[in-house]
Amino acid sequence: MRIPRNLEVWRLGTVNYLKALKLQEKLASDRKINKITDTLLSLQHPPTYTLGKRRTDYNLLVPESELKNMGAELHYTQRGGDITFHGPHQAILYPIISLRDIGLGARKYVENLESTMIELSSLYGVKAHGQRKCETGVWVGDRKIGAIGVRISTGITSHGLAFNIDPDLTFFKHIVPCGIADKDVTSLRRETDLVLPDDEVIQEQLVSCFARLFGYNDIIWKDKNVIEIDD
Amino acid sequence: MASRLLWASKAASYLKISTFNRGFASVVKDLKYAESHEWVKVKGNSATVGITDHAQDHLGDVVYVELPEVGATVTQGSSFGAVESVKATSDINSPVSGKVVEVNEELSSSPGLVNGSPYENGWIIKVEISDTNEVSSLMDCEQYSKFCEEEDNH
Repeated sequence: MRIPRNLEVWRLGTVNYLKALKLQEKLASDRKINKITDTLLSLQHPPTYTLGKRRTDYNLLVPESELKNMGAELHYTQRGGDITFHGPHQAILYPIISLRDIGLGARKYVENLESTMIELSSLYGVKAHGQRKCETGVWVGDRKIGAIGVRISTGITSHGLAFNIDPDLTFFKHIVPCGIADKDVTSLRRETDLVLPDDEVIQEQLVSCFARLFGYNDIIWKDKNVIEIDD
Repeated sequence: MASRLLWASKAASYLKISTFNRGFASVVKDLKYAESHEWVKVKGNSATVGITDHAQDHLGDVVYVELPEVGATVTQGSSFGAVESVKATSDINSPVSGKVVEVNEELSSSPGLVNGSPYENGWIIKVEISDTNEVSSLMDCEQYSKFCEEEDNH
């Protein structure tokens, strides 16, 4: 008999990248000692470029000083994956979950993250696909609509996925996104003919797709202001 | 059963082919195993550490291995490095405590060795063990096989 599994979802609004990172680190260490249940952060970031553990900063095409002029930050992280951009109207999910508890390895976990975005896309009539060899992420044709970059430490996940609802795609021109030079970046707005609801609605749908794919029985929604959570 | 697995994995390794369809991942007799899917080969005070076939299969194609410095201290159960696969970095934990005496530099140019030869050419670090008693808390190949089976049947 399977024990029912709950997912606690924190709706955080727009959060500065480093604040979100600090929060994830705290939650991951709480999750590791079973102080909390599986938790999912649902948020957006102000304009931010990030690099992964391999520090592939040769894929940043402009000097860092110019990023400041654009109003964007740059951060180095311990996640997998290459350089990417986060910004308004891009839905971010950071699952802080125990992969050991559900018997998933990195490969299957990432496949499920891809499926989450593929399912969300299909709600709007957009046929996306993932699991392309050597190019993790979610694509519509040759155009990338969703990116993944994850960290797994003692079986607990952090970082996660970024799905383009309608971000300003010109920000992607200043990088070689995910290290892939010859492919375009796209968004849900570009790919669908349907009128899109507010971001919050889409983000909620994304969370529901995640919960269903990962077999959670119940979602506990919490609206949190990050400033309140600071130590 | 275990020796047939050993033969199969050695043969596959020699022929440089990927082992059989994953009904089960291969294990090697005489190694000890940690719950976080690392293996250790102990000879007196010397240990060689890597990740298991089960681990590499669940990770996907490894594209990068973060190695510790020679001379670094490792602690049983704690992270000493990481691998990256499918845009995920996964920590590697040491099954033993001690000092790193050698790292597998080949992995910098050929990280895929971890997938293709997890028990041999894909070894990750060599450690001078500080406490040989710790090894008794690890699993042998039969216990580890059972552990993997239970984990996969969630």
